[in-house]
Amino acid sequence: MTDPASDAIIELAGISRTFGGGAGRVVAIDGVDLRVGRGEFVTLVGPSGCGKSTLFNIAAGLADADPGGEIRFGGQRHAGRDLLGRVSFMPQRDLLLPWRRVIDNAILALEVEGMRRADARARALAMMPEFGLAGFERHYPHQLSGGMRQRVALIRTFLFERDLMLLDEPFGALDALTRTMMQRWLLDVWQRHRRSILFITHDVDEAIFLGDRVVVMTARPGRIKLDVAVDLPRPRPAHVATSAGFLRIKSALLDAIEEESMKSFTMAGH
Amino acid sequence: MTPGRILALQTATILACLALWEGAARIWGGPYSVMPSVSAVLADMVANHAALARGILRTLTETVLGFAAGAAFGFLAGAAFAQFRLLERLLLPLLVVSQTVPVIAFGALVVIWFGNGILSKVVIAFYLTFFPVTVNTLRGLMSVDPQRVDLMRSFGASAWTLFWRLRLPFALPAIMASLLLGVSLSLVGAIVGEWFGDTVGLGIMLVQAMYAENMPRLWSVVVACGVLGAGLYGILAAIERRFVWWGREL
Ligand SMILES: Nc1ncnc2c1ncn2[C@@H]1O[C@H](COP(=O)(O)OP(=O)(O)OP(=O)(O)O)[C@@H](O)[C@H]1O
Ligand SMILES: [Mg+2]
Repeated sequence: MTDPASDAIIELAGISRTFGGGAGRVVAIDGVDLRVGRGEFVTLVGPSGCGKSTLFNIAAGLADADPGGEIRFGGQRHAGRDLLGRVSFMPQRDLLLPWRRVIDNAILALEVEGMRRADARARALAMMPEFGLAGFERHYPHQLSGGMRQRVALIRTFLFERDLMLLDEPFGALDALTRTMMQRWLLDVWQRHRRSILFITHDVDEAIFLGDRVVVMTARPGRIKLDVAVDLPRPRPAHVATSAGFLRIKSALLDAIEEESMKSFTMAGH
Repeated sequence: MTPGRILALQTATILACLALWEGAARIWGGPYSVMPSVSAVLADMVANHAALARGILRTLTETVLGFAAGAAFGFLAGAAFAQFRLLERLLLPLLVVSQTVPVIAFGALVVIWFGNGILSKVVIAFYLTFFPVTVNTLRGLMSVDPQRVDLMRSFGASAWTLFWRLRLPFALPAIMASLLLGVSLSLVGAIVGEWFGDTVGLGIMLVQAMYAENMPRLWSVVVACGVLGAGLYGILAAIERRFVWWGREL
């Protein structure tokens, strides 16, 4: 992607976040620069605890960054809070509401926006088969498997139609088969609607298969270690994962990730 | 085991206990001893059914009014405390202190203030009900998972939407638990309130039976109180099972 900087949907510059003070002080992320172009699919990998979710919370307007950084959204400077309601955000946990049926969990965002319940339900109902949830509309979350709950959370996120989607390990809880299907489906939706996506994953193959760019974060305090363009043509067939281009990117990423994972383990050692 | 068979077994157990009681009372007891027989109690209930019905109706009215007022006030207070934490700091300690005074201690005061009619009993029932409801409403509203709050905020939810769509449903199981406790306390409040003087009600019937040493009467009123308490509790428990079942899922 060669978009000029002005055409980024979101641009983070020098974003840091520190938790607590004194002896318990944790610098979660430290001076992160990251941009996502309009219509771009960026995947983000990094060792556990490096601050990926923290970064998402800031980009969604849920948490303030430390003073000094800058957030530009749609070309304009924003204080974090302005982003509330403007970014479609899927947290790591499914966070379904146990008292709502599947269909009513799916329409939560639409309801908050003020859409009539019947209209919202009709829209959600149409998406159920695509997500493998047909026939489960009237179930309650506790009657679903972990993977199904995650898919309900995905529908909820997709129905909240915003230009930028932040997906925090959306396929982490799915089995390999469903996961592959959901990846294809996500690429399809993304290509049809041209939304911009920032996507956290722990799976390097997934990161390469989905992304226009793969961004690797360092161990805590999280910084950007590597930013690799994935120059594989789309649509990408399943066997792209065995192509030379794919493997070259993968080996570069694995080296970087291993180095950072080792750091986070030695850090945990004392 | 099917629910039907369990119910049959439970009924059989109760009947067996009653039969045992009847037998024991006939062998060892006389009409004015410690334990009247089941049949004597039943006979008294039948003979005295009009007064008993009036007493039940009166005590039920006091209980329900006091409970409703206490539940409403408790909910509003708890919700206000959750919204305005300063208010909680200022007022909750006062409410706690008020609850450390046993209700009997100022029952007489309440009767002087609110008269010897139904109002004073309602006030005592209210006094016993509102506190657990306040505390549980506050606790329930405050225990909402912050990540769920964040999710709703990311959709652009207002404080109002957050309250109705997230906080309140989240708090309902805790509120419901306090209502179950509150309805039992409310009945206690109504009965005890009548002891400070009145002419109708189960509480006053208990006192009268005690002074008359009328054992079958005492027992028939005790049974009426039990039926009333179990009935009110049962209704609320059924509502909870049907409408507020997600407490374990939170
Ligand atoms: N509310 C908080 N208070 C204090 N520390 C926090 C808080 N939230 C996160 N942290 C710390 O910030 C660091 C980054 O956390 P974060 O959840 O962003 O990691 P992550 O990269 O998403 O990890 P994972 O891949 O396991 O989800 C962690 O060390 C964590 O302990
Ligand atoms: Mg995370």
